[in-house]
Amino acid sequence: MSRQELTIGAAGLQTQMRSWLAPLAWLFLLVLFASGMPHLEGAFRWIEPDSREVIYRRAGFFVLLGQHVLVVGVASLLAVALGIGSAIAVTRPAGRDFLPLVSQLASIGQTFPPVAVLALAVPALGFGTLPIIVALLLYGLLPIVRNTLTGLDGIDADVREAARGMGMTGGQLLRQVELPLAAPVILAGIRTSVTVNIATAALGATVGASNLGDPIIAGIINGNTAYIVQGALLIGLLALAVDSVFERLLRRG
Amino acid sequence: MIELFGVTKRFGGETAVDALSLRVEKGEVCVLVGTSGCGKSTTLRMINRLIEHDGGEIHLEGAPVRSFDEVTLRRRIGYVIQSTGLFPHWTVARNIGLVPRLLKWPRARIQERVEELMQLLGLPVREFAGKYPRQLSGGQAQRVGVARALAADPEILLMDEPFGALDPLTRQSLQKELQELQARLHKTVVFVTHDMDEALALADRLVVMRKGRIVQQGRPIDLLHDPADEFVESLLGGMDRGLKEAALTRVSERMLPLGPRLLASERIPYAAPLSQALSLMLWHRVERLTVVDDEDIPVGELSLRRLLGGKTS
Repeated sequence: MSRQELTIGAAGLQTQMRSWLAPLAWLFLLVLFASGMPHLEGAFRWIEPDSREVIYRRAGFFVLLGQHVLVVGVASLLAVALGIGSAIAVTRPAGRDFLPLVSQLASIGQTFPPVAVLALAVPALGFGTLPIIVALLLYGLLPIVRNTLTGLDGIDADVREAARGMGMTGGQLLRQVELPLAAPVILAGIRTSVTVNIATAALGATVGASNLGDPIIAGIINGNTAYIVQGALLIGLLALAVDSVFERLLRRG
Repeated sequence: MIELFGVTKRFGGETAVDALSLRVEKGEVCVLVGTSGCGKSTTLRMINRLIEHDGGEIHLEGAPVRSFDEVTLRRRIGYVIQSTGLFPHWTVARNIGLVPRLLKWPRARIQERVEELMQLLGLPVREFAGKYPRQLSGGQAQRVGVARALAADPEILLMDEPFGALDPLTRQSLQKELQELQARLHKTVVFVTHDMDEALALADRLVVMRKGRIVQQGRPIDLLHDPADEFVESLLGGMDRGLKEAALTRVSERMLPLGPRLLASERIPYAAPLSQALSLMLWHRVERLTVVDDEDIPVGELSLRRLLGGKTS
């Protein structure tokens, strides 16, 4: 019996490892391109034969990548905390009056173009990283709020009834029943929010937040396609890597 | 013991329960029956305060339910609902252990109790402990629901149409199991159903409700013999009442000791209801049955006249 269990265990471990293969592969490609970009000079020369310089060198790609991840990470963490928090708050008996208001605000956040948020935020917050974090935060809130509301709403009323009838407190109901059951839907919302924000964060380069958007903006200004491709390539790989991590997490949940 | 004194509940302008008074003795199975919307479920849910009553008082063991913290109160009362309400992300064992865990029992004691209950409800531990609710049949899921309600050994059990969603065969076998459980556990049970056969089979006290009021209450047999009005009569089955009464009486109550005559060829267990004996007679076109005990040994006989209540054989 133990032998059979061992084999099953090993096989399980193998599938576990295999399922992490896609995220790891994208991550590997990302690191490879970020570190090896100068070695691809030949290829970029072919894309952009007229420019003197074809590899973006004003900052290291790893530094840009790190700043990009940092901005998206901070904005997403704030959006997750605020989004899930407010969605939970308005589905409790005490906060139910605010449910329409919050879902409306979240929708408005989405319809507002991030460029407009930046344009409004710069006068108030100045140039740099802060306005882009605010813009990403507002922009990333909607999918999280909407999915958390959907996830909580999708829970069988009888499960809630039974939980209350058995003598669970509101907090126990939330932590032990509602959140675990809504988790896949909430996670899907976070996934959308984060991947969209990885792309949107590039706009930060226009207000002086240096990140992977820098080569793209510089490329547009100088008419250098190679710069644009380098920035876009890394942003794309980052988005794919993060997205496949979420995909992996969702499949288990 | 549960007592309701003039309990009233209004939803908006509508009165769902109207000055209802009821007393359920300790160890008694009280079944609330009535058409849908008669307030029977509302009455049940007011006992564990899932719905707060607007007027009157509800007492458990002499103390008003409002004097308890509602969470503490509910952990002391077993609650079973039609759709089971099992947590889909928890295993069977974890679902059953819910209330003991809320009550912070030590882990070993919870596991012991869960296994004991699974055995009691005919759910082999090895097979079912690790399963999830979606892997269970309707009957199995409701067994888990009953086990969960019994987990912390509550004095009181509230059951809201627990077998309503099951097929007739599963329903009957669960009713029988509930009767056997009750014979051992002696809980105070309030049971809501709109299935009159179920009500007659399970009730020590039958309470017929209509429009938020009690129309009649008493022993099932008394209600059958002497329904208060046409509503109760029709609810109890109208012209079928004779058969329903026969279903409540056991063969052993009417049988006579074995006589000198030859044994009748058809046999019936002594614990079977009279309705079954009548059915056998109709089917085989005989007027006499041999009554046998659990080991299929003849212990008496039952004639059609005795079955009908005649004095002589």
